[in-house]
Amino acid sequence: MKLKRTDWPRLQSLMLIAPFLLAMAVIFVMDTITDYAIAAAVFYTTVILVATRLLSARAVVVLACSCVLLTLVSFAFTRSGVYEVGLVNTAISIVAIGVTTYLALRLVAAEATAYETRERLLRIARVTSLGELTASIAHEINQPLTAIVTSAGACTRWLAQQPPSLDNARRAIDRIVQEANRSSEVIARIRGFTSGKEPQRSAFDLNDAIGEIVSLARSQIDHHEIALTLDLQPSLPEVLADKVQIEQVVGNLLLNAIEAMTTSTNKVRQLRIVSSTTDNGAVRCSIADSGVGFHQGEVDHLFDAFWTTKADGIGLGLTISRSIIEANGGRIWAEANQPSGAVLLFELPSVKRDTE
Amino acid sequence: MSDDSYDAGRDQPVVYIVDDERAVRESLEDLLASVSLRTRSFASVQDFLNFELVDAPSCLVLDVRMPGQSGMEFLGNLAQLGLRLPTIVITGHGDIAMGVRAMKYGAIEFLTKPFRDQDLLDAINQGIGADRVRRAKDAAVSELKERWQTLSAGEQDVMKRVVRGLLNKQIAADLDVSEITVKVRRSHLMRKMGAKTLADLIRFYDQIHG
Repeated sequence: MKLKRTDWPRLQSLMLIAPFLLAMAVIFVMDTITDYAIAAAVFYTTVILVATRLLSARAVVVLACSCVLLTLVSFAFTRSGVYEVGLVNTAISIVAIGVTTYLALRLVAAEATAYETRERLLRIARVTSLGELTASIAHEINQPLTAIVTSAGACTRWLAQQPPSLDNARRAIDRIVQEANRSSEVIARIRGFTSGKEPQRSAFDLNDAIGEIVSLARSQIDHHEIALTLDLQPSLPEVLADKVQIEQVVGNLLLNAIEAMTTSTNKVRQLRIVSSTTDNGAVRCSIADSGVGFHQGEVDHLFDAFWTTKADGIGLGLTISRSIIEANGGRIWAEANQPSGAVLLFELPSVKRDTE
Repeated sequence: MSDDSYDAGRDQPVVYIVDDERAVRESLEDLLASVSLRTRSFASVQDFLNFELVDAPSCLVLDVRMPGQSGMEFLGNLAQLGLRLPTIVITGHGDIAMGVRAMKYGAIEFLTKPFRDQDLLDAINQGIGADRVRRAKDAAVSELKERWQTLSAGEQDVMKRVVRGLLNKQIAADLDVSEITVKVRRSHLMRKMGAKTLADLIRFYDQIHG
């Protein structure tokens, strides 16, 4: 038996609207049966405040207009109380509804802008810091490299002299060795500083890792109206790997899939994450999207460093994913999805297979 | 491996190296020593400026990225400082824009590290050659200026008019002296200036006042 969960964002929002309509109906009845002096219609503002948190701006405007209409209808149907007081109260209610709607929508729009800006900043920060990192690595490596190449030139010339100047040649070679060691130290430093660390392996349930990453990416998935299917095999054997690293890989593949679908003209946005065991006892995870996919021939380059199809990509995501998966004793590959899109799959050794 | 004996001959070229990387400096000194070139190297622009340059054909190998004043900034100021050293710019992270800027500032070559040693040596030889030509030209001009100073005021007056193409008769009228006097002064100044023909004289005059 397999667990299945399907998301339909549109249906969800329809179901969301129901409680608001109910609340409005209650307020409408209260407003109509009570005295003119009781401005029950002001409570419509509560409905609107809650609605701005959950519904789209258009839906909120429609709700607000309905509230105004209902207030007017109540005013017409109310039988008890002083007419003038009722008129003033109705006017106050309508103004309150209007002002609340306007301010609440402004607030939501401002929040959305702030969110977008933060996202973009994060992206830029990632790209520029990588650019700076490569520039400084290039500089650090180029210095000893220059000394090596130049010393080698000097050495050749000392040896070509008649008679050869062996002492000078030896000194040049010593310098070459010294500078070559220095550049390997630079590389070791960079590796230690980035992700070149040995994986910290432990046994964990891959389904948990997938679940954690999916919940992190939930807002993005919903935001882009992507239908997500989780097809996770229950009681999956535990895998032996570095959980944080594997989560990085799943996150990277997931973001790639989302990006591939949002940049695609294809209206169908289906994301399917499957976990299963293979015949040879490994645990497999596949992430299939209905996005742009890749062309014939591109599949060979997918994992190459600095190879990308994205306009602002740097082409390291899959390269890093592969080195992580391989460092954890697994393998990763890509296949074409039907009718469109890509499937990225990886396998990791399971604990079960190791103990059997 | 710098050569300390500056009296080794005024025509022994000197290559100045300004690079903050000790290893790069040392390997460059060694490379140049292996082709018998004298070097003087400095870790910063300031150190280089504090040094009194040797009177010999020279050229400068200048790194771009250095603490303190950058090599590029310094290159832009070279002419203002009265330094006319042919300069080779070397950099660890060069792009086209930087190369264009270096050439605009008058660098004779722009090399990105690591460069081929032969490329650097070719550029250095070219630079030293150019500096040698410039020094010879400068020496010739100062020699001519000295000769000009040995002319009497009257001879200078005549020479200024001769090079403008005036005839002896016109010069005599202009200076209010006899034509004979003009002829005598003219033969004196030709001898003093070391000019055999009128064409020589005009060329010398242009060089002095160029």
